[in-house]
Amino acid sequence: MTSPPTQRTNPLHLLAAFASGGLLTLAIFVNGEAGRFGGAMFSSWLAHGVGTIVAIVFLAIVWRGQRAASAEATAKIGKAPLWAYVGGLCGAVTVMLTSTSVNSPLALAGTLALGLAGQVVLSLAADFWGLLGLPKRRLDLRDAGAVILIATGSLLIILFGLGAA
Amino acid sequence: MIIPILAAFAAGLLVILSRQVNGRLAMSTTPLISSFWNHFVGFAFLTVVGLVIGGLIPANIAEMPWWIYTGGAIGVVFVAAGSWLITRIGAVNSTLLVIAGQMVFGVIFDFLRGAPVTIWAAALGVVLILAGMWLTQRKR
Repeated sequence: MTSPPTQRTNPLHLLAAFASGGLLTLAIFVNGEAGRFGGAMFSSWLAHGVGTIVAIVFLAIVWRGQRAASAEATAKIGKAPLWAYVGGLCGAVTVMLTSTSVNSPLALAGTLALGLAGQVVLSLAADFWGLLGLPKRRLDLRDAGAVILIATGSLLIILFGLGAA
Repeated sequence: MIIPILAAFAAGLLVILSRQVNGRLAMSTTPLISSFWNHFVGFAFLTVVGLVIGGLIPANIAEMPWWIYTGGAIGVVFVAAGSWLITRIGAVNSTLLVIAGQMVFGVIFDFLRGAPVTIWAAALGVVLILAGMWLTQRKR
């Protein structure tokens, strides 16, 4: 199940990932407004509840294709382990953790900056060792360069660019 | 101070763990089915926690503007996209490009809605991010 390590990444996939980051900005803004009404827990609960309903509606519309694609994937890869079904716990716990740190002297900027560090560390480890059944990817100097540039740029924006002028 | 620092860092770890776990489920099913389970399990868990702690639903819920309900719909697409992408471009590229998009669109969004933006830092940050993105797509 190891993909060829020298495979070129498809620029369209990279663009899609970049665009999905824009969706995240939007979702965080909207959920942040929900948080102003009822707190972080309520906001996350609402987003997961609405998300469940929306996912069911989407699935109902395209169910034939999804069922076929899922059966094909299971035949090829095998059944998913049970733990693969509880990824949703991570998102739920994340909200509790961030609402702790946002209300500490770290504030939003510190929370985002440290969260970014955590994301980079675990994704490097995940690619390096192929954690949790996903393909391994060889990391090279370009990856290191990309990590340093994007992390530095993001920290500049988080710590100095947004909020206080 | 050590507890909030650990909490913020752990939140970052969980973002990646969740994408990795959802990605594994999507490999054996589909990204949309994986996104459904992600939201359903999270909702069930938060409902239980909310019932234990109490006071989950705010009294002023009727005053919320309608668009606040769209956050979950955006989340379904975001999680499905993440599961689809991580098996194609890997964890590091997913992380970097999602953060890049979040930052660049965040700057534009804040700028457009008139939130305070420090131009030199935001612009320099965006330039560094774009340079880093260029590195991720170079032919190996």
